[in-house]
Amino acid sequence: MERLTPRVRIVWLVLAVVRAAILGGLLIGGAIALSRIEIADAAPVPLVPSAAGLAVVLAIVRIAIAWRRYGVWRFELRDDDLYIRRGVFTRTKTVVPFVRVQHVDSRRSPLERTVGLATVVVYTAGSRSSDVAIPGLTPARAEALQESLRRLAIESEGEDAV
Amino acid sequence: MKKLHPASVAVRSLSRSLNTGFVFFLIGVVVSPGGNGMDLLSILGLVVVGILTGIVYEFAYYQRFRYELTADTFDVTSGVLSRRTRELPLGRIQNVDIRQNVVNRLLGIAAVHIETAGGGETEVSLRYVSEAEARRLRRQLRQGARTDVEAEDEDSLAETESTGESPAAAADDEALLFEITSRELAILSVFTIDPGASVLGGIALSFASGFDPATLIPTGRVEGLPGPATGVFALAWGLFLFVLAAWVISATLTFTRYYGFRLTRAGDELYYERGLLQRYSGTIPLEKVQALTISEAIPFRWFGYAALSVETAGYAPGQSGSRGTESAIPLADTDRVAALARAIEPFGPIDLESPPQRARERYMVRYLLVVAALVAGAYVAARYTPLERWYVAAILVAVVPVAAHLKWTNRGFRVGDRYFLSRTGVWRRTTKVVPHYRVQAVLHEATIFQRRRHLASVTADTASSASFFGRAATAHDVDADRGLEVQAAIEEQLQERLRIRKHQQPADRWGQDTREPTDDTSMVDDDEA
Repeated sequence: MERLTPRVRIVWLVLAVVRAAILGGLLIGGAIALSRIEIADAAPVPLVPSAAGLAVVLAIVRIAIAWRRYGVWRFELRDDDLYIRRGVFTRTKTVVPFVRVQHVDSRRSPLERTVGLATVVVYTAGSRSSDVAIPGLTPARAEALQESLRRLAIESEGEDAV
Repeated sequence: MKKLHPASVAVRSLSRSLNTGFVFFLIGVVVSPGGNGMDLLSILGLVVVGILTGIVYEFAYYQRFRYELTADTFDVTSGVLSRRTRELPLGRIQNVDIRQNVVNRLLGIAAVHIETAGGGETEVSLRYVSEAEARRLRRQLRQGARTDVEAEDEDSLAETESTGESPAAAADDEALLFEITSRELAILSVFTIDPGASVLGGIALSFASGFDPATLIPTGRVEGLPGPATGVFALAWGLFLFVLAAWVISATLTFTRYYGFRLTRAGDELYYERGLLQRYSGTIPLEKVQALTISEAIPFRWFGYAALSVETAGYAPGQSGSRGTESAIPLADTDRVAALARAIEPFGPIDLESPPQRARERYMVRYLLVVAALVAGAYVAARYTPLERWYVAAILVAVVPVAAHLKWTNRGFRVGDRYFLSRTGVWRRTTKVVPHYRVQAVLHEATIFQRRRHLASVTADTASSASFFGRAATAHDVDADRGLEVQAAIEEQLQERLRIRKHQQPADRWGQDTREPTDDTSMVDDDEA
């Protein structure tokens, strides 16, 4: 079982912090707006501090999840299929037979480029969440993975999926 | 290259003019001098301009639209402002549907819709061609698709082309699989709840009442009732009228929709037709079937009826009119449905493996939490309103074991040699049959709550468009280790099936005409046959 590059944690943590900041901003902003307008009685609880507290708790949870995600993520190219294990709360083990691979993308977001990482996305004709992305790969590994997936998909030459 | 039927200019213009005319009517109301929207003449002028624009556009559309059926592709050139040329390989065509509304039927024209697996919407719509042309297209598109897959030479296609309009040859081997009886149609109409009907019912009621709900309340007419029409009584009466109207409309809609439903089978494809006012017909190629769904909703289950959907990759989700799994038997005897389903995919008996008993405990806990939340809600409501006795809500606890047990008994799965079966749903029990060789990916998922009890859900994902609605074939709450076994087994069977099909392909495909669907059972091991 192959693990992701540890640097991927930076990407996830930055994303978690940014998202938590946006959500926290909305929460605190909403609380401030609520406390400004005159409701019938003064709010029984101090709105702004509790909103800030909630935002901090949510941020910590997000960061913890982002950190934990790295520990769970595994993938493996087996004989006939791509096997992926992931998920902090919902543990998902996905099997994608090479026969079913439609095409393979490799993509790099700005954040990933600064850290020097890439993501490989494997598409199937399936309708549910069976298109899988493997994040946190070094560009060389991503290229190699894309290449071997492509080769394996061609070798297995299945008939039409649909 | 062929053109559309000339009448399509008129029919398309009519619907287009209604649209553009209405848009220009709105524009006229907004921009009319004085801003009060009362300048009738300029509004009328704009409406006329809108209608004329519509007619001109449709005429140009008609002039530009060309299609041609070649030996292995279907070519369409269309577009007024932006031109588009498409070539559909015949082997990629999933479904061919023909639709006719009342006006179309009077004029003898029909709309042909061609579905492929790619993209979010119908790939090609021919609106409109003559009825005979529609039938010819349907037949030859499917035949072409077959010959294309078989890599045969074009003889057979040319042959059918020469015999052209005579449907006799094709009709010969057509076998009637199912025809809806009036009893089935009646039950279906009475008990089907059409989601659109409630909206229509509301609109109809508001018109009937002249937009004043008060007129609907029979004040003075109901002598026996105590006191004047109170607010609650008025509300109840309004609600009753609404439900009645929605129900009548729903029944009517369902009746006209499924009137005269027939399912026939010609060669390796199914052909259905239905509809009282609007006629729908279409083909379902059996070799493109992704999954079968047998659904038994609660009122129908009591009567011993079930419905069958045949899912292909063709229909786009949420597509208006086609409703995803159009290709189905709306209602028939449960045994009959099972037999028909087996005729399409011989999946053998439905003896399912139950989830472990701790799954039932899980449902118990889940429902208990729901009841606890309800009681808490009632308590809060009782504190702030004059309501009392909030603890009455706790009576619901008595229902919990029953509900949990029902949920548990209605779930199950089976991994056969050729098929993966899964069943779930208390009110609407659906049984999914997925051929292993259609599986795209296998997912083994365990939420944090499932992991507490060492349970997991296994999903066999297919390219069926219907699974977009979240109705993928999932074995819920199986033992986590068993789930892994199931996952491995499905994958193994998929590879095995693909190998067998690769070997069989030449013989299988060449002998297409004589092939029975159950022929494949030759590959089935003894326990399934």
